Amino acid sequence: MGSRRNPMCKHRSVSRRRDAIVAAVILTPMILWWVVVSGIPLVFGFGLGFFEWKVVTNPPTFVGLENFITFFTDASYLRDLWRTIWIGLSSTGITVICGLLVSLLLNSRIKGKGVFRTIWYLPAVTSTVAITQVIAILLVPGQGINGWLLSIGKEQIVLETSFSQSVAAILLFSLWRGVGPNAILWLAGLQSIDPVLYEAAAIDGADRLRQFFHITLPGLKPMATYVIIQGIIASLQIYEPVAFITHGGPNHETRVLTLRILEDAYTNFNFGMAGASGLVLALLIFGGSLGYYFASTRRGKEESV
Amino acid sequence: MSNPCFRPHRPSIKTVAYRILAYLILGLGGFLMLYPLIFIVMSSFFSAAEYNAAQIGFFPIPNAPTWSNIKALFFVGTDKNMIYYYRNSILRTLYGTLNAVLTSLLAGYVFSRLRFRGREGLFLFFLSTTMFPTVFSIMPTYLMLYRFPFAGGNMVFTGGHGIYDSALVYVILNGPVINIMGTFLVKQTLQSMPESLEEAARIDGANRATVIFRIVMPMIRAVLGYIAIINAIGLWNDWQVPFFFTRSTKLQTVASALSRMTRYMSTEGLIPNYPGMMTLSLMLVVPSAIIFFIFQKNIVQGLMSAGIKG
Repeated sequence: MGSRRNPMCKHRSVSRRRDAIVAAVILTPMILWWVVVSGIPLVFGFGLGFFEWKVVTNPPTFVGLENFITFFTDASYLRDLWRTIWIGLSSTGITVICGLLVSLLLNSRIKGKGVFRTIWYLPAVTSTVAITQVIAILLVPGQGINGWLLSIGKEQIVLETSFSQSVAAILLFSLWRGVGPNAILWLAGLQSIDPVLYEAAAIDGADRLRQFFHITLPGLKPMATYVIIQGIIASLQIYEPVAFITHGGPNHETRVLTLRILEDAYTNFNFGMAGASGLVLALLIFGGSLGYYFASTRRGKEESV
Repeated sequence: MSNPCFRPHRPSIKTVAYRILAYLILGLGGFLMLYPLIFIVMSSFFSAAEYNAAQIGFFPIPNAPTWSNIKALFFVGTDKNMIYYYRNSILRTLYGTLNAVLTSLLAGYVFSRLRFRGREGLFLFFLSTTMFPTVFSIMPTYLMLYRFPFAGGNMVFTGGHGIYDSALVYVILNGPVINIMGTFLVKQTLQSMPESLEEAARIDGANRATVIFRIVMPMIRAVLGYIAIINAIGLWNDWQVPFFFTRSTKLQTVASALSRMTRYMSTEGLIPNYPGMMTLSLMLVVPSAIIFFIFQKNIVQGLMSAGIKG
């Protein structure tokens, strides 16, 4: 476009203004709709944390930062927060590593890669509600897994009484669901590494192991950043597996923040704390995203040097 | 390669062993991935009587497989609600997916091809709103729907129950809202494509609409397909919106019907009607599995390219 080359040309501002009008025409209905559907609830939820509102009929009263102070001083909230973080980190860690291993296998010279990819990705599109029912059936005392355990003389798995079993169930379910997409993302990363590098290394006498550590892993760094942060952000918001498998665990011991928020809102009618907890969770996610932003831009600077 | 010096080299023991290991892990793991679905299919064909009598192992193969569970969902009983569940699921999924694709196409075009002040800032703003977890907005959304002015007996903001528990809930919540993920993908895809075709069309006098729908849309078919599938599957499996924002049985979707059944069972403390729930799960899982298998290539490719762009 000639106007781009000659900054003195008036075309640019005219076409800019025209663009702005078209943009406004297209975006305004969507933005308005967004404001109603997401914007208002967001603002409302945002503000909710600064009020105390315990019963639907009593009007909310402004209490400033009191809810947040409660959050960070109340032991049960801190426990829920800590739980959310370490369950999120463990689940991401396990899933990401297994995903990497599976992707290495998928990238090797085997037949039926497409079939395997499809099968491994399938859990990600299933409904959590449906699958958790299967888990419930398999753990009915005397049936399924428990029946088998009894028959070989071991103790049954009873999620309602064991914290470690409950956590294991949550982590295993997240792994089952997440390995597929993770593996596929890693696969994309693997395939973006220039094969010339491998050939050069082989000529120089590097064996497979050295190639892995010096070519594969560094080449996967960008994808690793994405996969890890994206996994952490998603797992901080974990809700359905916990809600449907352990219902918050034996005695609220696996209650994560999302569950706590809903419990505060719908069972205790403590809307103020629900809002505050939600805001804290949002800040955590924001922190994670910022971390990703810095990690990926720093990497960009390294590459340009 | 007809090079006479080329000798087909026999794979070493290490390579063969590695390959066998790969098949083993991928195969066994793959089986585990499929296992819950296999379980759902098999246990749907148990009659309630046989289910209670028999010992369910890992492979519940019914001795007397029966269609009665499936028939019961559709035909038996006072409430033939299954039809409503399916109708609502299908309509909602189609409506929401159409909106998602449309808005992603339009907004993605705007944010990549149109230049105006504040473009990047606006985009970042919407991107940042995805930071908030969905549970965060359930309660405020509920209040907003309940107090929706001039609807459902409401004067301005008080009185009745707004649009809670009406079909309008779906119309509004799944309408043409800005879809950030889709917009992002379309934007990234367009940014890596040359504008020449579009410019040529505009020089020939085409208006924006023609450019967007006749030229750009076919260009980014794959990405739009990916957006459509991801949204469709998400909508099909979504149980939270009907669960929290509606109450009547006739407005439920297959997913929320299942979640209500689950919730009901655990709060009432009854012995759950597992075969019934398995059958409902089957109804829920089968259509999404079918769609998935048909479009899996698109999904996998879309995910891979989204990861690279992300």
